[in-house]
Amino acid sequence: MKIRFWGVRGAIPAPGPETNRYGGNTSCVSVTGGRDQLVILDMGTGAMRLGAELMTGPLGRGQGSAAVLLSHAHWDHIQGFPFFPPVFVPGNQLAIHGNAHSSDMLEGILEGQMNPHFSPICTLKNLGAAIGFTAVVAGEEYDVAGLRVTAQPNPHGHTSALAYRLEEDGRALVYASDAGYPPAGPSREVLELYRGADLLIHDATYTPADRATRLERGNSSYACAASAAVAAGARHLVLFHYDQDYADDAVDDLVGACRAELDRLGGRDIRLTAAAEGLELEV
Amino acid sequence: MRARFWGVRGSIAVPGPTTNRYGGNTSCVEIDVEGMDPIIIDAGTGIRRLGKELAGGPFGSGNGTAHLLISHTHWDHIQGLPFFAPLYTRGNRLHVYARRRDTHLRAVFASQTESPYFPVPLDELRADVTFHELGDSQSFAIGPAQVRCTRLNHPWIALAFRIEHGGRSIVYASDTAPFRDILFEHEFIGQPPAPGAPLDPAEAAALSVMRQALVDLCRGADLLIYDTQFTPAEYRQKPHWGHSTPDDAIAIAREAEVGTLALYHHAPQRTDDEQDAILAACRAAVVGTRLRLVAAYEGLEVDLGSEVGR
Repeated sequence: MKIRFWGVRGAIPAPGPETNRYGGNTSCVSVTGGRDQLVILDMGTGAMRLGAELMTGPLGRGQGSAAVLLSHAHWDHIQGFPFFPPVFVPGNQLAIHGNAHSSDMLEGILEGQMNPHFSPICTLKNLGAAIGFTAVVAGEEYDVAGLRVTAQPNPHGHTSALAYRLEEDGRALVYASDAGYPPAGPSREVLELYRGADLLIHDATYTPADRATRLERGNSSYACAASAAVAAGARHLVLFHYDQDYADDAVDDLVGACRAELDRLGGRDIRLTAAAEGLELEV
Repeated sequence: MRARFWGVRGSIAVPGPTTNRYGGNTSCVEIDVEGMDPIIIDAGTGIRRLGKELAGGPFGSGNGTAHLLISHTHWDHIQGLPFFAPLYTRGNRLHVYARRRDTHLRAVFASQTESPYFPVPLDELRADVTFHELGDSQSFAIGPAQVRCTRLNHPWIALAFRIEHGGRSIVYASDTAPFRDILFEHEFIGQPPAPGAPLDPAEAAALSVMRQALVDLCRGADLLIYDTQFTPAEYRQKPHWGHSTPDDAIAIAREAEVGTLALYHHAPQRTDDEQDAILAACRAAVVGTRLRLVAAYEGLEVDLGSEVGR
């Protein structure tokens, strides 16, 4: 699997020279499988550039397909969807999976985004692509574009966000954005989902000090991420979903502090990377 | 009277090195009149930084009042509102003015932040938020400032605002298509009209009336902030998207004898260098006229002084 980061920010896009290095777009990650299948993790504003690039391939000719896994429906995880050019091309097929009680309700969430008060698109029916919706059930196994996908919910403020595990050819990628663990840390089911991941992309919105003043928001600090990675025996931790007020230098500091935390917890062998727009990794 | 630009982009925020100079935040302009509560037009992502600045003053202790004029409720004009820090301090007051269509404004704005889209619902905000529902053409006062509005030619309809105080005036006209090819109301228009297809005479007449009302609103304004998202080539491709070109803005500005025209609501894909080139071409086109031209950028302040104070 090839992984590329298109948006690494939480809450709201943060344009400006101070975010040039890590990027100011909200959450979006693309995963390309061994047979060129495409899976998109969340559709924050980063999805616009991803979509523009995909328009040079089959998705530009109405002959493409992509799967989308949505962690949850907060704006920063769906606001790029109507700006993803392949959705306007008839013939394309999009399979959207997400966190909802039913597939109809998942469709209703994205339909609400197109409400004519808010969007000139007015309704999903005005998009050209054929779009299917699947509500993801925790613990069930899904075949998503030939990848084996499972999910577990993490608490996230008043709601929950799904963490996804994607497997292909014995390799595992875990995407865990917006994880607001209780003091005891991740649930047993979630730790099992993370277990031995070759790559763990994990919410690292805050420093521990900032998180302590914003516990109700339900996001992780880099220390939460480090401790989850060690507990689950992940091989490579990728910090993700930075606070909109953290300039590039502040993110640099998160990485340094997270390295120290990993080492302190006995995770010396765990590789550490800070997600940045344009970064490519391979599992 | 002074205008400060906090977000100048249309459609979607576009972070990255190619937008550092003009800025990547969506629409938000602050109008300051000395001794008055701030007037804010539109609440795109740019309003987040304005809110942080305001929190350094009376809004930080719950003693602030602001007036927010919303041109229309498309995402790029409201998506920053839940990140406007003064809303989270008890005692602050925010007056929101927008056009009412078929739903009370409070319900429209409440659905922006309801579950599952945002963690904090409107009813849990600490500040006192009051909604003022507007019609297509209205006059009202905000303190000693006079405000007038007229409708624009945009899907679901947007309002242009004129704010006047102490002999100075600013007009904000975003978003709008020109008034010649398509009449936008509340229906979805999925395709551009066939090239050369005649416009329905009743629609042409309605557009002509709408345009004249906008020219009247802009008459003699010191500053006109206008939707110029498209190049002429882009407009020919997407006339049904509801945005104008700089040529359209210049024609209105000259007809209404405006002092300064600010190009605004830049396309998300527009790089800083491209925007520089558009501004230079526009300035060349108005050489010899009295119209001054700027391309709005984040941090731009246009100080109009006041007639009284001169």
